Amino acid sequence: MSHLLATIVAAPAIAAAILLLIPNSAKLAVRLVALAGAVISLVGSIWVALIYDRAAAGLQLLETFPLVPSLGIHLKLAVDGWGVPLLLLTGIIIATCVLTSWTVDRRDKEFFILLLVLVSGVFGVFVSQDLFVFFLFYEIAVLPMYLLIGIWGSSHQVKPSGPFKFVWKRFAVGSKEYAAMKLTLMLLVGSAAILVAMFALWANSGAKSFDLQALEATRFSLPVQHLVFPLVWLGFGTLAGVFPFHTWSPDGHASAPTAVSMLHAGVLMKLGAFGVMRIGMVLAPDAAVWWAPIVGAVAVINILYGAMCAASQTDLKYIIAYSSVSHMGVVMLGAATMTTAGWNGAVFQMFAHGIMTGLFFALVGLVYERAHTRAIAKMGGFAHVMPAVAGFFTLACLSSLGLPGTAGFVAEFMVFAGAAKGASTWWVIPGVLGAFVTAVYVLRACKTIFWGPAPVGAFATLPDAQRTEWAAPLVLGTALVVFGFWPRLLLDFIDVASNGYLGRIPLAALAEAVTR
Amino acid sequence: MSPIFLGLLATLAPAAAALLLLIAFPLRHRGAPAAWICILGSLTSLGAAGKLLVDRLGGAPDARWVEPWILERGVPMAEMGVLIDGVSLPMLIVVCLVALCVQVFSIAYMHDEPPRAFGRYFTLHALFLFSMNVVVVAPNLLQLFFGWELVGLTSYLLIGFYFAKPSAARAAVKAFWMTKLADMGFLFGLLVLFVSTGGFEWTSHPSTAVATAVTALLFVAVVGKSAQFPLHIWLPDAMEGPTPVSALLHAATMVAAGVYLVVRADPLFALAPATRDVMLWIGAGTAVFAAGLAMVQNDLKKVLAFSTCSQLGYMIAALGAGSAFAGFFHLGTHAFFKALLFLAAGSVIHAVHSNELSQMGGLRKKLPLTTTAFVIGALSLAGIPGFAGFFSKDLVLASLEGRAHWVPWTMLMGAAFLTAFYMGRVVVKAFWGQVSEKSAHAHEGGLAITGPLVVLAIPALLSGLLGGWLASQVSVPYSLHLGLTPIVASSMGLAGVAAAVFVFGTGRAAPFAATLEKLDRLSLVDRSWAFAYQVGLQAFPALFGWIDRYLVDGLMNFSGWSAIEAGASARKLQTGKIRDYALMVVAGVIALALIGVLR
Repeated sequence: MSHLLATIVAAPAIAAAILLLIPNSAKLAVRLVALAGAVISLVGSIWVALIYDRAAAGLQLLETFPLVPSLGIHLKLAVDGWGVPLLLLTGIIIATCVLTSWTVDRRDKEFFILLLVLVSGVFGVFVSQDLFVFFLFYEIAVLPMYLLIGIWGSSHQVKPSGPFKFVWKRFAVGSKEYAAMKLTLMLLVGSAAILVAMFALWANSGAKSFDLQALEATRFSLPVQHLVFPLVWLGFGTLAGVFPFHTWSPDGHASAPTAVSMLHAGVLMKLGAFGVMRIGMVLAPDAAVWWAPIVGAVAVINILYGAMCAASQTDLKYIIAYSSVSHMGVVMLGAATMTTAGWNGAVFQMFAHGIMTGLFFALVGLVYERAHTRAIAKMGGFAHVMPAVAGFFTLACLSSLGLPGTAGFVAEFMVFAGAAKGASTWWVIPGVLGAFVTAVYVLRACKTIFWGPAPVGAFATLPDAQRTEWAAPLVLGTALVVFGFWPRLLLDFIDVASNGYLGRIPLAALAEAVTR
Repeated sequence: MSPIFLGLLATLAPAAAALLLLIAFPLRHRGAPAAWICILGSLTSLGAAGKLLVDRLGGAPDARWVEPWILERGVPMAEMGVLIDGVSLPMLIVVCLVALCVQVFSIAYMHDEPPRAFGRYFTLHALFLFSMNVVVVAPNLLQLFFGWELVGLTSYLLIGFYFAKPSAARAAVKAFWMTKLADMGFLFGLLVLFVSTGGFEWTSHPSTAVATAVTALLFVAVVGKSAQFPLHIWLPDAMEGPTPVSALLHAATMVAAGVYLVVRADPLFALAPATRDVMLWIGAGTAVFAAGLAMVQNDLKKVLAFSTCSQLGYMIAALGAGSAFAGFFHLGTHAFFKALLFLAAGSVIHAVHSNELSQMGGLRKKLPLTTTAFVIGALSLAGIPGFAGFFSKDLVLASLEGRAHWVPWTMLMGAAFLTAFYMGRVVVKAFWGQVSEKSAHAHEGGLAITGPLVVLAIPALLSGLLGGWLASQVSVPYSLHLGLTPIVASSMGLAGVAAAVFVFGTGRAAPFAATLEKLDRLSLVDRSWAFAYQVGLQAFPALFGWIDRYLVDGLMNFSGWSAIEAGASARKLQTGKIRDYALMVVAGVIALALIGVLR
């Protein structure tokens, strides 16, 4: 199929367009169309994985449509070894998201439309080989969040305190409107930085083209690279939850409805990390090497600081949201090691964390929908009434703390091995320590929620997962274990791409940068 | 059949059983089928291990097979596979045999559980045997770590089997955290080894400095898993799990994985004398310390738990003295007699419905077979000549002899006396003396209870005679000798038993017991860890949480607030009144004129 990638990208958007034509009252039709859009993309992604030739490596399934040729803008789609697992991740998450959202009853059609448009953007980012189109898709993926959280989200209270107490008058901190606004504004500031970097690259490329391959062929001068890399790092990094620009994430993910949390923490944060690696490190390799010690140090802060913050939370969704901040630190750490193992681990962690956090948020949503509380102190003994949820939650916890046999271990292990082999060995220590803190807070939450005496009162009759709710736990749980035991199913793709891109990195300069 | 196929079969048969039970949930929910599927898996494993043994006795050589597991630059970075040699094969047989006995025992012991819980129990057992066999057949340290963590998981889930009990839930996470804390050492050790040698092989030859670092880090994990001081505190709490679980995981096999790791990685440890010295002292110290605590426990299972700590201390001390074989041999005999003791204890608990020694008494007449089994186990543990434990303990002590290790040697001799004393105490209190109220209705369980006891009693009696064969498998010289060590050791054992009979048989209290209890040293260690937890993982994170919410995010909010306030201020310029604008125009003209003049 010659337009496989275009199909994957367009299918959700087309489904969204069809939804516009369906009346609100046809609830089942709305859901089925949405599901069809998602499943077509998922099947397409699996198809891509099957036909991608690992021996040949490089970009494959290339399709080009001229968009604004005079400015060197083309809709150029192709997939590389990094793209394959990320397409799969997006396909799996969106399909399970739609099934998880089966029970959304308020403005459900609009909800699905926004969800599908958003995911078209995500697919687009992973296969775009034109920087302008990449950015376009990136914005399509980021902006619908504002409505999805602002309309379908949930609010809670945050007590005013601290030196910035006075600003609470202006904002309803903790409300869904606040969370949506903060998330959008912070990500837009990031986008502005990316935009500047993008035009800097375009203006300094000989060909005046946005084509990524053309840009890769240009070795930009050091000043340009030093302008571009930090902008890209902070711009995309904001979406990847890089400290200290991560604070949209806990509020945003906690306020968002279940499917949106799944999609946002599961897939969108990866766009950020993918952008830093694919644009920043590949196009500005000399600056990336100079910045690597800083990127790595911040990533290490992310890991440990995120884990510590997660350990202090009493709200279930906040625990998971902060754990994302911590785990995205693992991705950034892997990227900063500038080693094959580290890059393999970073991309593998994007996949593993996407699946794991998707599972987490699906289960948290399930619990929240039944118990109507997110305060873990109020829960207890839920394993008696929802044993399947308890089991899958435990599985997600295990992947989160990097237990062998789950995808999380493979990713963390490779990142740590990369860091140990890389120029800054000390990064390993806080990294591993962060994994231990994770073990403490996830299992503590698991114990509080699910273990203990059988619940009484209203909680005594909470049902276990039902019908479409099974989709996310089954699919995502299976994926965690399968890729934990057979990482090569994905790693063989990732490895060829990491190898190719790493060839651009001046590694000799890396040791110099570290001793600086 | 090739040894690789058999090794894979032994490992994967329980995995298949576990997978089947996970997927085919109706089987699991019905309970009984789960037990049979699990036992079928274990039987297959044991059969495969048995066939391997027969082949080996017929002269089959070692076999090793690996498959790339993760890649880096297109070449394998880590491998998984199967290694069948003189170390893994005996261990495989011990693990599969004990596991099978425990599982059969569990059918009767767990009979009163609801079907779902019963099914879950056996699913976890199948998962455990798979994980343990992954450790046993591991051809490199990475796979060993893989299985190591998985057995930790099954241990967590089985300790927390009665998750409705808050104490069990707490014990489960505590066990997981303590071992996970120690396992960071394993991970760091692996990484150091990987960076220096490019692989995870214990046969590599790094420099002394690297070997010392790697082995010291690995040993941290061993201290956690094998419950050595000061990380031993999770093991007594782990007795919250069902008694057969305590027999299999927390006595015979899983906790011995630490010892197995050192035996496997012996070539690395041989390069690191400094690590061995530390091991020697920690092992000897734990052996005495835990034996002392075993003397004062009133819970039958806790006596055995501390006894396990103490015996693992013996093994670690032997490994520290450089005799991997002595440690390995003691691991094997200990697995049999300790599993026997725990299952016999389970039989007692099943009959009496209590763990408390004070509620037992006179069970000799009610449970003759259990009593015999327990006494065999106790005598073996006490190191009475002729029983299995005597031979291996003798070898451990002999490994310390004449190496300027006379202090640890004396400590372990003292521990041998204490061991015999505390086991004598348990036997006298539980099986002799007045028939207690609860003992009055006790009766022997069915075949599923007694069968495994009989099966395990045989190796608890006789496996000591296999020392010569085991030594030939790992190519070390072995000979029985009559010297200082066996004479002193057997006198210590006999004296301990005699002292216990003398003290408790006449209804007296143990000497110094009150003092020991007052010292309450376990809870001192326990409380230190609890304090570390409260500070490091509760108070400290709370500080971070506050900083993130009110400083870091506060700063973000402040920047938003500044933008809004700045906008609000700027808005005041636009009043909509002509006179204001006119004033500004005039002011502007004057300002420009001034600038022009001044230039």
